[in-house]
Amino acid sequence: MDLTAIGAAIAAFTGIGAGIGIGIATSKATDAVARQPEADGKIMKLLLLGCALAEATAIYGFVVAIMIILFS
Amino acid sequence: MKELLVELLMEDKTLIHVPFGNGFFDIAKSVVITWIVMAIVIIAVLLLTRDLKVHNISRRQAVLESCVLWLREAIGGMLGEEGAMYSDYMVTVLVFIGVSNMVGLFGVTPPTMDLNVTIALSVMSIILVEAAGIAKKGAKGWLKSFAEPMPVIAPMNVLELVIRPLSLCMRLFGNILGATVIMELIRSVVPIVLPAALSLYFDLFDGAIQAYVFCFLTSLYIKEAVE
Repeated sequence: MDLTAIGAAIAAFTGIGAGIGIGIATSKATDAVARQPEADGKIMKLLLLGCALAEATAIYGFVVAIMIILFS
Repeated sequence: MKELLVELLMEDKTLIHVPFGNGFFDIAKSVVITWIVMAIVIIAVLLLTRDLKVHNISRRQAVLESCVLWLREAIGGMLGEEGAMYSDYMVTVLVFIGVSNMVGLFGVTPPTMDLNVTIALSVMSIILVEAAGIAKKGAKGWLKSFAEPMPVIAPMNVLELVIRPLSLCMRLFGNILGATVIMELIRSVVPIVLPAALSLYFDLFDGAIQAYVFCFLTSLYIKEAVE
């Protein structure tokens, strides 16, 4: 039985973590901007950093999924 | 799906065969596209900076000056005062990665989709980070900085030398490859209208964000190294 596709699909589940993480980060950033609109630039910077780091897990999952498909 | 990935990743990427000794010296596609990107940027820069004046500046020069100042301030703010001298390199990398990512708009494969290009960029970044640390603290201080804040986590700090460039190059490569794969899949399902709208997001927005994130993280590492 060929389980390659299922393996790749499981690797793609890393997207859940990244989605939740970026969602939480964005909601907190919206809160922060609503409270202190003058700190806009700093919050934006931190938000982008957090999103980049949270997104990295999804990218790793994506790369692993591609490796599973290609090298199985 | 597998055919698409094989076509994108595994195909023979050489474009020009140069006879060299007994064999060939192959020039990959991404290198040629990089040359084209460099040519575009250099020509744009040469055209934009022609006959600049001190007084009675033209509208083009005013826009150019505000753009340059904005870029320098945005990057210089991330680098902090200590590392402000590295801002020119970071702006160069930002413009290069940005233009390379957006080249996908014209139907060319972005050079950043080649793992070799992103590895080269991230190795350059980590060398710059460590060189900045050595230039600031001296070789002894740089070695000591591995044992900060506690000697116990020194192995972690040494590991970061590898993890940082790995995550930088994988992030850029994975994002651009993911965007290209999704675009190809959509193009095979809906060939008109929808790909044009989505390529605005995937090529312009995502490309700009990834270029910004790459420079932002490198500047953050430099700031940490020179502190």
